Amino acid sequence: MPEPLLTRYLGQPGREEIDAYLATGGYRALARALRERTPDEIVAMVEASGLRGRGGAGFPTGRKWKLTPKRDGETRYLVVNADEGEPGTFKDRTLIEGDPHQIIEGMVITAYANQVHQAYIYLRGEFFLGHRRLSRALAEAYARGYVGRNILGSGFDLEIVIHRGAGAYICGEETALLESLEGRRGFPRLKPPYYPAVRGLYDRPTVLNNAETMAHIPHIVALGPEAYKSYGPPILYSVSGHVTRPGVKELPIGTPLREIIFEHAGGPRAGRSVKAVFPGGSSSAILTAEHLDTPADFESLQKLGSMLGSSAIIVLDDTTCIPAVIRRTVEFYRDESCGKCTPCREGTVWLSQILDRILCGRGRREDLDLLDSIARNMTGTCFCPLGESVPPSLRASLRYFRDEYAHHIEAGACDVAGGPHR
Amino acid sequence: MSSERAPASPAQMVHLTIDGRPVAVPKGTTVWQAARQNGIEVPVFCYHDRMPPLGACRMCLVEVEKMPKLATSCTLEAGEDMVVRTQTDRVRQAQQAILELLLVNHPLDCPICDKGGECPLQDNTLRFGPGQSRFVETKRQFRKHVRMGPVLVLDRERCILCWRCVRFGEIVAGDDALKGFERGYHSQIATPAMEPVRSKFIGNTMEICPVGALTSATYRFRSRPWDNRTVQSVCPHCGCGCATTLNVRGADLTRTRPREHPEVNDIWLCDKGFFGYEFVGSPERLRAPLVRRDGALREATWDEALGRVADALRSTSPEAVGVIGGARSTNEDDYLLLRLFRGVVGTNNIDFRVETAYPQPTSRAAWGLPVAIADVERADAIVLVGCDLTEEYPILWLRVKKAIDRGAPLVIAGAWEPEVARWAQHRLIHRRGGEAALLRALAGGVRAEDGAAASGAPAEAIRAAADTLRAAPRALVLAGEAALEQPGAERVLAALDELCAACHGAPLGILRGRGNSGGAQVLGLLPDMLPGYRPLGDPSAREAVAAVWGRPVPSAPGRTVRGMLEAARAADLEVLYVVGADPASDYPDARAWEEARRGLRCLVVHELFLTRTAEAADVVLPVLAYAEKTGTVANIEGRVQRQDQALLGPGVARSDAEIFVDLASRLGSPLAVASWEQVFAEIGRMIPGWAEGARLAPPRPGAGAGRDGAGIPDGPLPRPEGALALVAGRRLFDRGTMAARCPGVRGQAGEPFVAVHPEDAARLGLRDGMPCEVRSPRGALRLAVRVWAGVHRGHAYAPRGYDSAPVSVLLDERGPVAVTVRPLGAP
Ligand SMILES: Cc1cc2nc3c(=O)[nH]c(=O)nc-3n(C[C@H](O)[C@H](O)[C@H](O)COP(=O)(O)O)c2cc1C
Ligand code: SF4
Ligand code: SF4
Ligand code: FES
Repeated sequence: MPEPLLTRYLGQPGREEIDAYLATGGYRALARALRERTPDEIVAMVEASGLRGRGGAGFPTGRKWKLTPKRDGETRYLVVNADEGEPGTFKDRTLIEGDPHQIIEGMVITAYANQVHQAYIYLRGEFFLGHRRLSRALAEAYARGYVGRNILGSGFDLEIVIHRGAGAYICGEETALLESLEGRRGFPRLKPPYYPAVRGLYDRPTVLNNAETMAHIPHIVALGPEAYKSYGPPILYSVSGHVTRPGVKELPIGTPLREIIFEHAGGPRAGRSVKAVFPGGSSSAILTAEHLDTPADFESLQKLGSMLGSSAIIVLDDTTCIPAVIRRTVEFYRDESCGKCTPCREGTVWLSQILDRILCGRGRREDLDLLDSIARNMTGTCFCPLGESVPPSLRASLRYFRDEYAHHIEAGACDVAGGPHR
Repeated sequence: MSSERAPASPAQMVHLTIDGRPVAVPKGTTVWQAARQNGIEVPVFCYHDRMPPLGACRMCLVEVEKMPKLATSCTLEAGEDMVVRTQTDRVRQAQQAILELLLVNHPLDCPICDKGGECPLQDNTLRFGPGQSRFVETKRQFRKHVRMGPVLVLDRERCILCWRCVRFGEIVAGDDALKGFERGYHSQIATPAMEPVRSKFIGNTMEICPVGALTSATYRFRSRPWDNRTVQSVCPHCGCGCATTLNVRGADLTRTRPREHPEVNDIWLCDKGFFGYEFVGSPERLRAPLVRRDGALREATWDEALGRVADALRSTSPEAVGVIGGARSTNEDDYLLLRLFRGVVGTNNIDFRVETAYPQPTSRAAWGLPVAIADVERADAIVLVGCDLTEEYPILWLRVKKAIDRGAPLVIAGAWEPEVARWAQHRLIHRRGGEAALLRALAGGVRAEDGAAASGAPAEAIRAAADTLRAAPRALVLAGEAALEQPGAERVLAALDELCAACHGAPLGILRGRGNSGGAQVLGLLPDMLPGYRPLGDPSAREAVAAVWGRPVPSAPGRTVRGMLEAARAADLEVLYVVGADPASDYPDARAWEEARRGLRCLVVHELFLTRTAEAADVVLPVLAYAEKTGTVANIEGRVQRQDQALLGPGVARSDAEIFVDLASRLGSPLAVASWEQVFAEIGRMIPGWAEGARLAPPRPGAGAGRDGAGIPDGPLPRPEGALALVAGRRLFDRGTMAARCPGVRGQAGEPFVAVHPEDAARLGLRDGMPCEVRSPRGALRLAVRVWAGVHRGHAYAPRGYDSAPVSVLLDERGPVAVTVRPLGAP
């Protein structure tokens, strides 16, 4: 088991301050990058590291940077997605609150690698502590010359602005984020043509990465791609729900779900068993106890019709009423749907109404097919992935836990012992 | 400009298959467009071909080979060898699914919905929808309908959130009138705090709304689409001459809709065009002739009324007869006016420019656009001088907006900030009277500092604007009434020429005139012009006219409106014949008009309503409105368009033409006129190129040709301590004769006001909304104060067009006026 890289110093008192960060070698990777590496060499290192974006889509970071056109005289931007809205996900927040300089250092290196001079951090509005710590860290970094004009005497300039979101999950979606950052309603943009790399912020090429993605960068530059990979490569799992030791777990990517849940997160409460799990946030299709030996990586979870997403593992034990969980997630998407497209806006509210009825004991036998049919009609027809996130879990639950729904319909009540409602 | 457009490069073609049919389309075409061009209909809701695709409603899904998911055809660019299917089971299933989802929260109240019968949601549901709904839950509820001001009714329950209306406000009109609020299933179209919508183009959103969510307050429950007769017409208001379709049910005009005209209004109208039709059916319309008997106007027969007019004309020498107006009539009316007054009566005292005291000779400064309206959007830079574009020529703004979206900078100069100022790259707000100096500085003819000193606009801003303009290969300069309605207008014109020359020979448009001014001008309802812009002074031109008329054309130039009023005061003009104009309200010096009226022996007025002028007349002749007669009109770009009769007139009202023909007979020189077509054809014998749809653009003399005074320095207006320089501007929504009788326009006009700069307001103790007295040496008005930073310091802005408080009471034909603004206590 390799040492943790990103979370090694997490929890140490005062870690969020620059002196603590510098004391453990902080900003040395930046200094080396500016002194010893050309921007292209850094891009190549990141590509060689195999780092895949940690925002959910898992797009290879080095490739993304290469796709960003570097035309002379054209402004480019770096935007860091710290909106972290995916239910069950709290790794970015943990880093922002506990070790914010890692992210800032990653940003400066990324900006240098992409020859960007203006960067934004789109910070989830509810991160009050995170905002305080990150702002302070940024001010320190400016004061010590790690951000701003002529960074470390290299001639490289970078301004970083923190922008706080106003509380919309959709604004974590990269193009809606850019709309919001530009001051408009958070609606996702049409792709093509509005791929952020090519036509991003203010219609200019934009490197857009997740906050955790940024935190990996200094380590890749400091260790070199191969040494970095020997740490796993590492990934942050946010484990929550019915486990005794929830939290952010830094582990090699592909650690099996069972190991993550039982060894690293303490397993379920005494006398309880794992009934179901969302392996990658509420947007990933729900899995059952049978799937626990699956490695938590991109490919394996995709094979099961689910996904690694933001690697937020939500564990549900046998006291859980699955239809109630699904209703809650559908409600989340209903409330967070931006309202732009028909299937997501109308489908989510219809689904939640039917689930309500079933959970209130007024379900009809045909409702299960209706739910499945609506979910099918939403599949592949939504404008953006938010709406597309609803059908997989709903349909998986109808497959794996159909009896539970049927019981609600027939008996008008829940059959889960200790369940939260009648 | 259009003629200079580069020939389109042979477009690269893309070949694809749609429903088994091989199809070739230019690169960049979307799959939806490709299908449409080949007669394959794919249903849409959010897509509208005047806006970029959005991809929101998901109605237009199609199957594309090698694509795992269905694709929205409205957003998908056609690609080489693409294989598209629009009719498969999968597509049908998806179409049904989307419609089912859209109907889940739709109230299905078609029987009481104005859109019923012309509703894309109804139509698409019928053709592509599921037979029945599986929805048994509760529908989303909103307050059923909300009046969003005088013209818009919003029904959020019916809205399918296609975002067309929002995007229209963002992309087409740029006024952000309607916005999306809340999100997800709470999403709704609204204004902040549900305030009345503020837009000059909101009628268009009612047209493009694919359901009955946005409907017209004036059309509400008035008719069903299938009960409407449709008649082609032309908007009578601002002078752009937008193509319209009138809807008529029985004897009522039920609504006005835009008629597509790619060169003029495209598919849009402004809200005056949409809602400015109800005056036609007003109960206040004049139904019978009126003659003054025993001091009062009393109803009379046509015979009596026209007898009086004929007597007056017969008993007066031709030089003592004058004619004002013609901009509200058709070309055929106006042509017969000329035959009567130039030919039979023998006077050249004819002028349609009722609203100006500083007329420039048409040969040197013809009104109108030298380019087509559609060409405005192709300019590389646009300079707007003294023109409040959305207030005066709203449809032009939509073209300017497109130019701006293409990257063309807008430069604005004026004594107040026009509504579109926020779109301008350079705003030069200046002192009234500083126009010429400012324009010369922009042209580089004088130093920016000198322009700044004379105009009050910052030198830095002038320099920046000048640099911007110099960089534009094809700029367009548009000057309006506010820049030219002043004694120094000649100098302003010379400076405009200088600016155009400095902008690589940019065309100069003079944005003046309303209604059929364009027709009146090309026909020569002017003291010194003959039909087709030929000067009266040209003997061969006079002979050509005389040959057609069979009567000589008097050679001595006539008087302008101002000249006629001066002559009347001096008792040199005895009979004044006013055709569809209201000089008592609109001539920019009310006292000058009153004095002139007192000097007249006989005042004859053609009118729809008993206007101020008509009230003072000796004979009032009730005439037909635009919707009641067939004929042609010409707009500010000189385009000739036909409007058809939709209705019968009230009472015994007649067309202007009929009246002129009758009078000619009474004067012993009958005009053989059988039909408007015959008159139209006769005009064609005089004006080369005269044809329906043709554009007879006003001629432009070369830069500097004969315009003098370029060297005379400008100075600020001398005025007493504490007084403000008065500037008068037009408003789209006003309370003039016609607008006041259109609830949809009147209601948006609000009360007349005077706007003053916050600093002046503070100095004078004026607060927003406070009643005040505005006094000039000529008269006084009671107005409400509006404190507005958009007006230049030291100036007071008052709107024209409010008949209850005509700003002409304050104005002086002899020069600019200074006014005092005195508070009249708290509101
Ligand atoms: C509905 C939705 C919400 C998202 N929320 C977030 C988020 O909160 N944080 C994040 O980093 N990425 C989020 N993403 C993913 C981003 O769109 C984007 O892929 C990511 O920020 C790119 O960074 P990466 O390449 O470093 O992963 C979201 C995507 C969707 C569709
Ligand atoms: S799927 Fe549609 S409605 Fe839902 S968030 Fe995306 S764009 Fe908005
Ligand atoms: S009001 Fe009409 S145009 Fe506007 S979003 Fe709703 S349906 Fe579309
Ligand atoms: S018409 Fe294509 S998505 Fe709406």
